[in-house]
Amino acid sequence: MDAVRLVALLPRLPTARTRLLDNLGRVRREVGPITPELSDALADHMNIRRGEVHEVVSFYSFLQVPAGAHRICTGPVCDCFGARDLLAQHPDAIEVACLGHCDLAPVQTRGDEIVPAVTHSTNEGPAIGLGRRDETIADYAARGGLEPLRDSLATDRVIGELKASGITGFGGAGFPTGVKWEAVSREPGPRYVVVNADEGEPGTIKDRYVMELRPHLFVEGVLIAMRFAEAEEGYIYLREEYATAQRRLLDAIEEFRVAGLLDGRSLELVIGAGAYIAGEETAMLESMEGRRAMPRLRPPFPAQVGYLGRPTLINNVETLAHIPAILVKGGDWWASLGRRGTVGTRLWSVSGAVGAPGCYEAPSGITTRELVEEHAGGFAGEVGAVVPGGAASGILPPEAFDTPLTRDALREYGAGVGSAAVQVFPASYSPLRLLAETMRFFAEESCQKCTPCRIGNRALHHLCEELEHGEAAMTREKVDEWLLAMEKTSICGLGQASPIPVRNAMRWWPELFAPLDGARSSSAH
Amino acid sequence: MTAMVEFTLDGRAVSAPEGELLVHAAARHDTFIPTLCHDSKLDPYGGCRMCVVDVEGSPRPMPACATRVAEGMVVSTNGAITDFQRTLTEMLLSEHLNASPGGRPNELLDLANELGAEAPLILPDAKREEYDDRNRLMGYDPDACILCNRCVRYTQEVMQCSALSLEGRGGQARIVPTWGLSWLDTECELCGGCLSVCPTGAIYEKFEEGTKRPERALEQVRTTCTFCGVGCQIDLNLDPETKHIVKVTSKDEYLPNEGNLCVKGRFAFNFVHHPDRLTQPLVRGEDGELHATTWEHALQVAADGLRGVIERHGSQAVGFLSSARLTNEENYLIQKLARAVVGTNSVHSCEST
Repeated sequence: MDAVRLVALLPRLPTARTRLLDNLGRVRREVGPITPELSDALADHMNIRRGEVHEVVSFYSFLQVPAGAHRICTGPVCDCFGARDLLAQHPDAIEVACLGHCDLAPVQTRGDEIVPAVTHSTNEGPAIGLGRRDETIADYAARGGLEPLRDSLATDRVIGELKASGITGFGGAGFPTGVKWEAVSREPGPRYVVVNADEGEPGTIKDRYVMELRPHLFVEGVLIAMRFAEAEEGYIYLREEYATAQRRLLDAIEEFRVAGLLDGRSLELVIGAGAYIAGEETAMLESMEGRRAMPRLRPPFPAQVGYLGRPTLINNVETLAHIPAILVKGGDWWASLGRRGTVGTRLWSVSGAVGAPGCYEAPSGITTRELVEEHAGGFAGEVGAVVPGGAASGILPPEAFDTPLTRDALREYGAGVGSAAVQVFPASYSPLRLLAETMRFFAEESCQKCTPCRIGNRALHHLCEELEHGEAAMTREKVDEWLLAMEKTSICGLGQASPIPVRNAMRWWPELFAPLDGARSSSAH
Repeated sequence: MTAMVEFTLDGRAVSAPEGELLVHAAARHDTFIPTLCHDSKLDPYGGCRMCVVDVEGSPRPMPACATRVAEGMVVSTNGAITDFQRTLTEMLLSEHLNASPGGRPNELLDLANELGAEAPLILPDAKREEYDDRNRLMGYDPDACILCNRCVRYTQEVMQCSALSLEGRGGQARIVPTWGLSWLDTECELCGGCLSVCPTGAIYEKFEEGTKRPERALEQVRTTCTFCGVGCQIDLNLDPETKHIVKVTSKDEYLPNEGNLCVKGRFAFNFVHHPDRLTQPLVRGEDGELHATTWEHALQVAADGLRGVIERHGSQAVGFLSSARLTNEENYLIQKLARAVVGTNSVHSCEST
């Protein structure tokens, strides 16, 4: 520990509990990895009980490792593309569940540097327009930006356009945005706006593309939301691994401030510290309030009781990036962009065994085959399975490639469209391995609070590893009971949705689960 | 006065004060809903999920420990919902390696017996790092912990101290004294409140006075703690054979302490059976030795001695020191004795320092 630097830094750190995560991040970067001594010193400075800071520090993956650490992603796509070999070559590297650069798999970071170097493979879609990178706010304005922000933004008109567009949240849950905005607007002030930029669902890279390529568009979306909600304070909760996005957002916010477009409002970044569950909206609020990122019990919902107990409008990055176009060109125009009777466009993160992994704006209602062939350079070799929308969305067999990637169409396959993160796995990669890696991810990222998620995911991960060796400790009947208990009694979406890929795999690759029928059914005790 | 609401509990029309937790309202109507992480002294947590019930209109079961009754609510606590209790119990058993490290009651095993639940497997990462603390009062076996977090919440919400932490997440999550220190090196006051709320006995009294009997086999005698004037209500737990006190417990319904104790009340009872304990009045004789006598004689000797001092040196030569073990009323009488009878203002209680 560098005592001199700590002593110099501590007096400059704010003492409000909401600054705990931020302070821990600064101590980590400016002094060193958080040791018990550093944790206690910060706890004493902030007048928080030491044990509570210990709880927070130990919750996140990165606070106790050096800021310059070598990290290797072992998310499913990176695992498929040789992450384990990389780990074997670099025994000092830290294994990370997902680094959010699945288009570059296998990916590593050294400090803030991404290896291999970041490239963007994308297209110029009608609503977000990722095809060109905006360098400055002037670039953005020259492409037609800032129009809505200069408008009056009457509440009724905004709600009307959002509802006409049919836009639903693009974070994964898919709640109708217009309904959410209307609900928040009916709650008494003061209200907050919080943006979920903690993109952590394996395979999902779309929000990073938006923040890296069109930060001004996104910031305009946030400011529209803040004006709508009459929020004086807005926060963007950004995952720590997105250093470029962080820099671009800070620059963009400063440009908006200089241009007088912040309107006296405060828009700040909150930087995460490595915890997938912090992307669950109530866990995010807990994290922002300086506690472990453990989901809250609902009801009440954040629209009523959110950040610091106030009504809070929480939206995903991509959702907000669609709002300016909806307000300029109209909700009906946006709705008309869909394919096969669905509404709108969205950003598809495409990774794995395709010609051109990247992020593409394409209509809702597109099929896997259309998406990959029209945008992502076609399938690379024989494909074994596709994950349609992030780890919890399910696992699809090749027969589903011509099914529209919509909530309704995928229901037939017991899957969902989630965050539209299409991960294509070659036939050489066993679906069981994919499932085992997926369950390992959920097991490690479970916040531990509720029994079904904490224990169920670990048991299923163990079971998948056993099945890879043709063994099973649980009977099929018992597995079904445990999956049902996870789905129905878990507190948040993590435990509720993690049974989906298991059920999908059992349905589409039944031969891999044959050992369940001869499982040791006697008790372990 | 709190308004009453009408709701339906397993088909019966019942009433409860508005906002009462469902688990408590159901208990008053003789419907027992199992819980592990719930403690009425603590804020609702809803972690173990053992208490989930069906609430009409809710897309998924709701935790009765964190759901408040509302007018017209239709609640079902039986039927298929009880399958979840068995499954959740199986899950907890699958990492519950040491069922009874210190002889304390184990509510998880009670539930398992009642529901016929057995662990279908033992998780390969169930074994947790051992914790050995140099303090002589409290032991902790992480393998018996079910992460209900009651102990940690007790330290934070009731004791307002930093003694235990919920550390890490996922399979690595564990409960441990802050930063893995000995309790003696944290803010812990060794009150033992954490062990009193632990549903599985993972935290337990190391200080067992000569019995291996489980707590439930002990006889309980309710009494008042003698250590200070607060008058905490305690249960002396006796070995049924030797009739010796082997531990001290308390109950939530006991006033004024509501089941809470301090380090002395919970752990410092070994004086009761100590061979050096004074059990009758003693007066030093001409031979310089102490001799057993009656209270009348002992008090007479003390009174004569005090009177002698006052006669020879005046009232100001006498001072009174009273014990922290006395009640307010007894302390009042001591100062009355000092001021009104002896005539000195030199009176002090060790509680004031």
